[in-house]
Amino acid sequence: MQRRDFLMTGAAGAAMAAVNEAPPKGKAGACIYIWLGGGAAHTDTWDPKVRGDGKKKPGSYYDSIDTAIRGEKVCEHLKKSAPLMDRAVIVRSVSHGISAEHAAAANLVHTGRLPSGTLQYPSIGSIVANQLGARTEEVPAYVVMGYPNIMRDPGFLGAKYGYVYLTQTETGPTGLIRPPDVDLNREDRRETLLGKMREGYRKRNAKDEVVEQQDAVTRQAFKLAGPKFLNVFDLKREAQALRESYGGEFGQRCLLARRLVQSGVRFVEVSHNLNFLNGSGWDTHNEGQLNQHLLIQELDSAFSTLISDLEKNKMLDSTLVVVATEFGRPPEFDSGGGRGHQSLAYSMVLAGGGLKTGQVVGRTDDTGKKIVEKRVSIPDFHATIHCALGIDPHKNMFAGERPVPITDRGQPLRELFS
Amino acid sequence: MRLTALPLFAAAMALCAETGPVRVEIFEDLPKGSELAPGEAKPVFVYSEPYFAFPRIPTKYSGEALPLDRSVPFVMRATMEGALPAGKHVFRLRSRGAAVLTVDGVEVARTAGQKPNTSSDDPVPPPVVHDDSGRRPAPYPHQDAVAEVAGGKTRRIELITVIGGKGLMPTPGELSVSFGPAGKVERLLGGADAPMLTDEAWDGVVAQSEARHRTADRARRLDSSKDVVARWRQRHDAVREYWKSRPVAVPAATAGYPANPGIDRFLAAKMKASTVAPLASISDLEFLRRVTLDATGLIPTAEEVRAFQADPPATRRAKAVERLLADPAWADNQVSYWQDVLAENPGILKPDLNNTGPFRFWIHQAFQDGVPFDRFVTELVQMEGSAHQGAPAGFAQATLNDAPMAAKADILAQAFLGQKLGCARCHDAPFHPFKQKDLFSLAAMLNGKPMKLPVTSTVPVVEGMRKPAVQITLKPGEIIEPEWAFHDLIRHNDGAPAPTDGKVDSRRQLANLIVSPQNERFAKVVVNRVWKRHMGLGIVEPVDDWSRAKASHPELLDFLAREFVMSGYDIKHVSRLIFQSHAYQRKPVEQLTEQQTTAEKRYFAGPLRRRMSAEQLVDSLHRAAGKEFECEELNLNPAGDRSPNQFLNMGKPSRAWQMTALSNERDRPALALPVAQSIVDVMTAYGWRQSRQSAATQRDDAASPMQTLILANGVLGTRMIRLSDDSAFTALALKDAPLTQLIAETFLRVLSRPPAPEELKSMRELLEPHYAGRKVAGAESAALARKTDTRVSWSNHLSAEATRIRMEEERNLRMGDQPTNRLKPAFRERYEDALWAMVNSPEFVLMP
Repeated sequence: MQRRDFLMTGAAGAAMAAVNEAPPKGKAGACIYIWLGGGAAHTDTWDPKVRGDGKKKPGSYYDSIDTAIRGEKVCEHLKKSAPLMDRAVIVRSVSHGISAEHAAAANLVHTGRLPSGTLQYPSIGSIVANQLGARTEEVPAYVVMGYPNIMRDPGFLGAKYGYVYLTQTETGPTGLIRPPDVDLNREDRRETLLGKMREGYRKRNAKDEVVEQQDAVTRQAFKLAGPKFLNVFDLKREAQALRESYGGEFGQRCLLARRLVQSGVRFVEVSHNLNFLNGSGWDTHNEGQLNQHLLIQELDSAFSTLISDLEKNKMLDSTLVVVATEFGRPPEFDSGGGRGHQSLAYSMVLAGGGLKTGQVVGRTDDTGKKIVEKRVSIPDFHATIHCALGIDPHKNMFAGERPVPITDRGQPLRELFS
Repeated sequence: MRLTALPLFAAAMALCAETGPVRVEIFEDLPKGSELAPGEAKPVFVYSEPYFAFPRIPTKYSGEALPLDRSVPFVMRATMEGALPAGKHVFRLRSRGAAVLTVDGVEVARTAGQKPNTSSDDPVPPPVVHDDSGRRPAPYPHQDAVAEVAGGKTRRIELITVIGGKGLMPTPGELSVSFGPAGKVERLLGGADAPMLTDEAWDGVVAQSEARHRTADRARRLDSSKDVVARWRQRHDAVREYWKSRPVAVPAATAGYPANPGIDRFLAAKMKASTVAPLASISDLEFLRRVTLDATGLIPTAEEVRAFQADPPATRRAKAVERLLADPAWADNQVSYWQDVLAENPGILKPDLNNTGPFRFWIHQAFQDGVPFDRFVTELVQMEGSAHQGAPAGFAQATLNDAPMAAKADILAQAFLGQKLGCARCHDAPFHPFKQKDLFSLAAMLNGKPMKLPVTSTVPVVEGMRKPAVQITLKPGEIIEPEWAFHDLIRHNDGAPAPTDGKVDSRRQLANLIVSPQNERFAKVVVNRVWKRHMGLGIVEPVDDWSRAKASHPELLDFLAREFVMSGYDIKHVSRLIFQSHAYQRKPVEQLTEQQTTAEKRYFAGPLRRRMSAEQLVDSLHRAAGKEFECEELNLNPAGDRSPNQFLNMGKPSRAWQMTALSNERDRPALALPVAQSIVDVMTAYGWRQSRQSAATQRDDAASPMQTLILANGVLGTRMIRLSDDSAFTALALKDAPLTQLIAETFLRVLSRPPAPEELKSMRELLEPHYAGRKVAGAESAALARKTDTRVSWSNHLSAEATRIRMEEERNLRMGDQPTNRLKPAFRERYEDALWAMVNSPEFVLMP
């Protein structure tokens, strides 16, 4: 059943001992999962160290600044977020064993498991959709802003727990927005005609269960694509100043995430995948390093505005914000001035969600290379997210008759729960 | 100047006259450094081409007809002799890799070799520009080398080129030589009727080359595998001898029950003793739609419906069955099923998620070539051929898997023996009579030698802690011998006909044990799978796990298994028996009650109501609209400057089974393939798995709102109902015919039936007001304008320009296909809305 991550953690005894304790139960009802695809350098963001020189001397690429957590610093380009860090938890000791390949690591950080060849494991978004469901029939449970791919899939849970996605905020969710040439008049005409076709077919197959089911989802579908949900995507309804404060396309996605959560969506993944800002995205090999500060600044504007906006709307306690990435990067620079991959010690962030925030969990050494305090595995990190959402991370899901625990023996970070 | 003297060129030489005057030789394993000078080296293959354009190289096959890799690199030499007209001529060599063009032994043009590229943030090259000549510009990263050659006498023209190499794709790209007067567009070197080097003509060159080589490949592999075919025939004769002594008694006909001989008598015998009655037969047209989907994965064309209706009522169903089983599309419709069952899971980008090779191409080829199913299984188990080009060697792969052969043993046992061993991957199976050792001893047979249990394939037992809920009898690191685990199915195959060739390795032994005629489980599992595909429910359920299963009709299962074996392991024969049965031709069961879920109460009063599979839906939409399957090449390295281990080129799909996971785990806009994504979106909603990390027989067939939405509002649905100039509906609407005929024809195309009176009425009300004046006088048909920018490749995908290009393509795609100018918008939109309603009605996706 659960096999591999266990062995990578090497913390078997402790993990086993804790299994029997009841997991904490948080009160958050939704999660916004910000994805920094490519592997964000922890020493250049949430875990600053002594500065390096961009060449021979390892270290952070930027200066650091104080945060609202006493004695804790972040990178100077996170200056809007720094004063809000008391609403957040920096986990500086995330660790796993996959650093060679982005897809494999990203898959691990989304599903909490390595592929086994016997099952396809669901993404954390699909698990949350499966466990909590959407708040209303008029919205989906799980929305992705980014490209559809395997790591976001529902796996053995089935297509029902898949996501609605969009790749650009201006075009809206795929499949839910009318094609550009279809106005209300045509839509009305179409649905009237379809109504007649459906009625005839239903009548000819009056007692057929499968016909009834397919017809029922057709009915339900048009409710989902109704104005209530689609209006959520109309960002023009927000104040111009707020929109500007969120920033560019990534910021607009974060704003949309807040609106989606407000409408009843449970899990929103927001991808920060606009790699052209620095020529490499967060995968800062070689020259990608030079303009990495542009990415960090964009993250800063969006993240800080999201936190304040959620707070202003009294949603911060009930909305968990996660900043996740597939791995960090080593303190050394490569020959092109960028950084390689490092998965054994890096940072991810949790904010709001009713957690005891204003804390730092785990420590790395003076260069950010090794963990010196409290290793947090991906299953542990997932367990913390689930607990914040009131989901028992040890509960079984079922792939046919095979029980599969929600996390692979993940232990929540208990210090974050009161 | 027109190339008036060219006929001379064509007539002068035909070194190999089959398809054209250009003699082509393929060389492999030439000494390093001498690739561009093969001299008198012996070619491994010689063939001919009609002209100097080589978008496709013949596939190399093993004696078993499995695709093989050529050497890295390999060399091609193309030669032609002919009289060159007097005057000066421009010769244009276009190549992605190293090539030399000589005339009468003198070098006139040369292109440099391609270098493997390790970058991902190169700049996107400037757009290719069309000059005034109308010539197709050299696509990135091809080079043109131009030479002037004097004519007036017979010349020998020779092209030598190196294809592939370390870190390069083993494909020729747009390799060509053309010639013509200076400053004008050239003609491909060949004959007077050779195509010009223009964009339009090149598309045709590629399509014709593909079609020609596909046919030639097939003929060649059938020829090369003649001995193998003969050996399997002999084996089947021996197998028939073995089974002859074990006849299955077919019950007598039951009075009052409809019964075609065979299947129906078994069903009637059981039904008679119950309160269940067989359901009524479906109508002829319903039958045609159902059986066309079951046989070919497509809805019938309007022409097929009409021809069917013209046949005598007494024989039209039987005739349709024969026609459909002989349709080449039959093979297409087999592929996706076996992709699921055998967990075919290729990745086009640095495969690392339990990925396999693309052995879909071999699956298709096997069904196309009528490979008997026992041979199919044997070749699969042997896992030979080219891993990247679609042979069974691709089945052996399992990236990022700690025990690939254990994964494969599990897949094979489920697929062909009904033994579900998945739980035994890490511990003894809690719900099955299997121990972990059973799986690993099979895995060791695939491994060819004893295997060590990986420490990662176990459940940890920690001293003093709670015991795991499962039994563990193997220790990590324990050595497991290759051994057959299923002695209750067959102890050994001593009594069975001997293997067909001299191979005795443990993979071959395993294959022999699986397909041995003494192992009756194999034939039963396979026929039960076929039965379930057509009837919606197995005689044994679940079809992949027989450990606790009971057959609803054990004698029928024996009968079908025997038919299968006696036919020479021909799946088509089993399908034929089922299609011909009354049971298959009945109305669907309306409610899935107890009689359908327990073996005792399962009667097959009718088949289950099934939804089209994702592939059937996508292919049927294209068939209804009469549109070609349009999609980008499934390849994230069109520049060809990366290793095929890292970037798989899966080609340009023409049927939905050829789609694949688009592997954008990096989430980068420039890695998106927007058209492919729009197709994958529909398929995913309808239960297709973009990732097949494990075997699955039963897809997720739950109805969900996303199915309706993606079809109603998504790009593919919008494109299929759009009245563009390539739409069959546009052609229908332009015909001079009464409106009722347009409506009737449309219903036939989409729903395979005439409209009901009230449907006719509502469609008339919608379309009538604009029908008479629907045409735009003088408007012309326009070609499909959408093009994929092939400048974007892995080597530059991180650049801002690459991102901009793909995002723009994504935006443009949302507009759908360009509407025709030949129909006035007022009519066009109404007719599109009518099509939308028909396609989105549950009737379209649910089979009769």
